[in-house]
Amino acid sequence: MTSPYFWLATLIAGLVLLFVGAKSKTLLNNTVFAVVVSIMIALSYFTLVDHYFMDMQGLDYWYLFRN
Amino acid sequence: MGSVTRKKILSIMALGAMVGLLLVPILTSLPALAGGGGPAAGGPPPEVAAAKKDGDKKEEAKVEKGRDVYYKTEGIVSGAPAPITTDGEKDYPRYNFESRVLIWFANQQHLYYGSFVLAVPIFCMIIEFMGVVAKDKALGKKYDQLAYDFVKISLTAYSLTAILGGILIFTFLTLYPAFFGYLSGIFRPVMHIYALMFVAESGTLYIYYYGWDKMKTGFLKWIHLSMSVVLNVIGTVLMFLANSWIAFMMSPAGVDEQGRFLGNIWHVIHTALWNPLNVHRILGNMAFGGGVVAAYAAYRFLSSKTDEDRAHYDWMGYIAMAIGVAFLIPLPFAGYWLMREVYAYRQQMGITLMGGLLAWLFIIQATMIGILFLSTNYYLWQALGRMRGAEKYFRYIKYLVFILFCGFLIFITPHTMVMTPAELKAMGGQQHPVLGNYGVMSAKNGGINVIITTTVLSFVWYMRGNKVSTVSWAKFGNIFMGVFFGLAYINIVWLAIYGYYIPANVRVGLSVPQVATTLSCLFYMFALNSVMMKGAKQLGPIEWGKISARSQYALIMLATAFTWMMGLMGYIRSSVRLFWHVNEIMRDNSPWAYTHTVGFAANMISANVLFFWISILFVFWVGSLTKKAAPVEAKVPVPGGAPQPVAGH
Repeated sequence: MTSPYFWLATLIAGLVLLFVGAKSKTLLNNTVFAVVVSIMIALSYFTLVDHYFMDMQGLDYWYLFRN
Repeated sequence: MGSVTRKKILSIMALGAMVGLLLVPILTSLPALAGGGGPAAGGPPPEVAAAKKDGDKKEEAKVEKGRDVYYKTEGIVSGAPAPITTDGEKDYPRYNFESRVLIWFANQQHLYYGSFVLAVPIFCMIIEFMGVVAKDKALGKKYDQLAYDFVKISLTAYSLTAILGGILIFTFLTLYPAFFGYLSGIFRPVMHIYALMFVAESGTLYIYYYGWDKMKTGFLKWIHLSMSVVLNVIGTVLMFLANSWIAFMMSPAGVDEQGRFLGNIWHVIHTALWNPLNVHRILGNMAFGGGVVAAYAAYRFLSSKTDEDRAHYDWMGYIAMAIGVAFLIPLPFAGYWLMREVYAYRQQMGITLMGGLLAWLFIIQATMIGILFLSTNYYLWQALGRMRGAEKYFRYIKYLVFILFCGFLIFITPHTMVMTPAELKAMGGQQHPVLGNYGVMSAKNGGINVIITTTVLSFVWYMRGNKVSTVSWAKFGNIFMGVFFGLAYINIVWLAIYGYYIPANVRVGLSVPQVATTLSCLFYMFALNSVMMKGAKQLGPIEWGKISARSQYALIMLATAFTWMMGLMGYIRSSVRLFWHVNEIMRDNSPWAYTHTVGFAANMISANVLFFWISILFVFWVGSLTKKAAPVEAKVPVPGGAPQPVAGH
């Protein structure tokens, strides 16, 4: 969970699901599917933002989890 | 050759000549700039001049070198040291009054008007461009009329700005001659370019304004529009040059420790705080200009006698507010960058600002920022009332109020309180056992980001108020938007809480992902909303003019808060130098080299704000005397007589 690759994989998985959903319109507008895909994309996006913007400053976002 | 073609060619030639003339002073200054502008501040010492004349090696050895206080490079001493002043008539001539208050007043008024006349032409450029590219011709003409109205307001203010600039220079010359002599010696070439740019700005502005009628169609309109670009480039350069003076006073560079100019004018201009100040000021000016124009529109709305006028000024107020707030949203981030650079330049200066002598002024500043965002949100919620179909959002507004106030209260919580010994004993220390936890930057960053994200959400609601998306993936879009905003709030609050559990050197970095989260909401959600609302079904028209009077008072509040905050921040930035004219280079030995009490500063800022608003009302009144409205066609009545300047936002 503390690896950015895990979150990157989640983001890619979310985007792939979005693409699959977009192929069949009914799936994309299914509430459960939409909520799950949205959470996957948004959650992984914000975690990556947190990680990389801290990393850019030479800081460890996962400091507490690693110690 | 037809007359139209001839006119076009003449216009292009005129524009080319104008640009050429504008470049002449810069091109002629380049050799001087490259060489550092020659000797400054009274010329080089006699021995240096003699050495140059003779070319004698022995004499050349006498050329004195100094080390730059900031860049740490070596340079030939080309100016006199900063004067060591004494309290007396020679260095500080005075009336029976505090000279600092006079210079404060003159500076602040010049700054208010300067900001206004630099910001409004940028509005004109944006709105005129919107008018030119608008597919709907009627709408395009309305934008054109609006841009013309804006420039008309700024024209009278422009003259007043120049007058106030003159008053400011005379005040400096008569009350602070030693300091001004030193500063103008260092910045001699810059000041000349500034003056020439001011002439160019005036000329371009007058041609831009008076040429509106003559250049209203076709290719000539594009020439006119490109003139506004030239105008704004000059205006921005002017501001950057003026910023270099105050940046030099705070964080000098290009001089040695005695304040002697070392021959590189770029080092003097490009100091540690110059760029953060430039960004902060340009955003601040735009937000301030938007606020003033919105207040003008609100005043005209409230005094309108007809529905048509009310509709026009309601629309004008909305556009000005929207542009102003668009620049207000990134403003706290620019301020944060400036503060970071201040800390990086001199940690003590940062501590004086935010943790020491001036910290309470920052609490007032936080309160003003909160008021700005609360007023903006209130206006947007009121504006939902003029849209049919927007009622669906009304029941959620109370939740936004709750979120906003939570963010606001945390944002304004002070770290420590000024207390009597008895109060200190009763509370058990300088910090309140519960509320004290909210007085740290970790919590405050969370507070302000929550406020800004909520403002973005209010804007998104406003933009989709009377519309229903017709895209096939509308349901997914709405869910995604809701989840994205929800997780953004969670991320901001999470980072704020996380900051309590990690060391200070790691915590300080958390503000960057917090800002990135807020900006992600701003850019991605605006973009997503725009795509979703393309070709959307309209539930009803926007009934311009049918908005509560309270909303207009919110606009006036917004403008007043902007003005007050500008005065406050100017005072904070200036007084952080404490007893220095030029930080660590030239000491202020006048009897007023002390920091005023918070109460005195607040009264002084209020007096400045009051004077500005009384004088700008005069400017508005003068502007209303000229009944000439250039784009005559723009005055065509709105189809159907409905008081509705535009169909969209």
